[in-house]
Amino acid sequence: MVHLERYRDIVPDFESFVESIHRPLPATVRINTLKTDRDDLLRRLSEEGAKYRFVCWNPLCLRIDLEKPGNLIECLMGYLHVQEEISMVSAVVLDPRPGESVLDLCAAPGSKTTQISQMMENRGSVVANEPAVNRIPSLRSNCERLGAMNVAVTRYDGRLFPRHRFDRVLVDTPCTGQGMARKDHSVLSRWSLKRSLGIQRLQQSLLRRGVELTRPGGTIVYSTCTFAPEENEAVVSTVLDRVWVETVSVPGLKNMPGLTRWDSDYGDELEGCARYYPHQNDTGGFFVAKLIKK
Amino acid sequence: MELWRSRFGIPSEAFEGYAFHLRGNNVWISGSAELPDLRYETIGVRFMSTKGRVWKPTTSALQLFGGRATKNAIDLDPDQARVFLAGESQNLDADLENGYVVVSYRGMVLGCGLYSRGELVSQLPKERRIMSDKIENESFKGDR
Repeated sequence: MVHLERYRDIVPDFESFVESIHRPLPATVRINTLKTDRDDLLRRLSEEGAKYRFVCWNPLCLRIDLEKPGNLIECLMGYLHVQEEISMVSAVVLDPRPGESVLDLCAAPGSKTTQISQMMENRGSVVANEPAVNRIPSLRSNCERLGAMNVAVTRYDGRLFPRHRFDRVLVDTPCTGQGMARKDHSVLSRWSLKRSLGIQRLQQSLLRRGVELTRPGGTIVYSTCTFAPEENEAVVSTVLDRVWVETVSVPGLKNMPGLTRWDSDYGDELEGCARYYPHQNDTGGFFVAKLIKK
Repeated sequence: MELWRSRFGIPSEAFEGYAFHLRGNNVWISGSAELPDLRYETIGVRFMSTKGRVWKPTTSALQLFGGRATKNAIDLDPDQARVFLAGESQNLDADLENGYVVVSYRGMVLGCGLYSRGELVSQLPKERRIMSDKIENESFKGDR
């Protein structure tokens, strides 16, 4: 737990936080409204005798009492998609509307892409970009299985993505993944400040490009699944001359405000970002910033 | 579209608001919104394969639109669905014309079957086949 010790002063009820990291993550699924509706799906699960619980912040997310929910026929047929509960927050904060033009800059394996597509009711367009050729098949197969017809896949280096003006851009960057520790404990021992700082440069470049690719007044969401401020607030602080920070608040989901300082001053605006800790909602850890292009 | 109407009774209105394009051996279906001028790997979802003499609807397309079929569609019982999902053939006496059919289970479209002289041949692509011992649903577990 040595690598979590650095967060003692910023995480409320630190002992519960550390303790929560040792508990396995609840299995969660998202109802795919491109192929079914909530009532029909819930009826199917009830007929099957599958046990599930609702979460209070998202009517399309279910905690399901199965070791491998991915093997439910409803998942295999694309009525459900296995997705970690807290990772559903990025698209909810992005709030895409039917008919808009949206870019998902770091898309594979496409959980958030397809969530965006379903929020847009398959209308408008989602450009799903993924530079890694070996990650394209997972992105493609999720789009096919879930019926995300308004998704088009590109394979650019996100930092050099060609010029265009999108209504909304999701920049869900690679990160050191400390928030995934409940799923894979080894992320904690693999973490080092050097790794955070190494990946920070990529994150900054991706966010900067994401901002450039958004129309004035459009929305950028920056998210990671790590606790390290170096990869979160420090990255967002580099684009403050070009965006306004809108306060993230998702009813039913507890969060802590973004940090305004850590090893340096980030700016008071950063308070509007949201930090999600595992013990507060019984989820993974996450960071989300909602930015409006000036 | 004519094929979907004549073969399955699915009206062309079902495809309103979507665009189609031919690429490789497939027809693809996508949203009709204009896309930025970019180099695309793929656009939309595979809709039909044009490889054979008769164009074949994809599993993805049938799962999206096959639910509206009024003919050449069949709902299987759990035992039959198990066989179909495993990618195997089975004898089946059903009111179907020879050719491609929409195959469902409990009202959920599983994919495409080829019906010929009382035999239903699963057309599920290898990567989408499922062995019944893998399926979590109680109704599939049965006595196997």
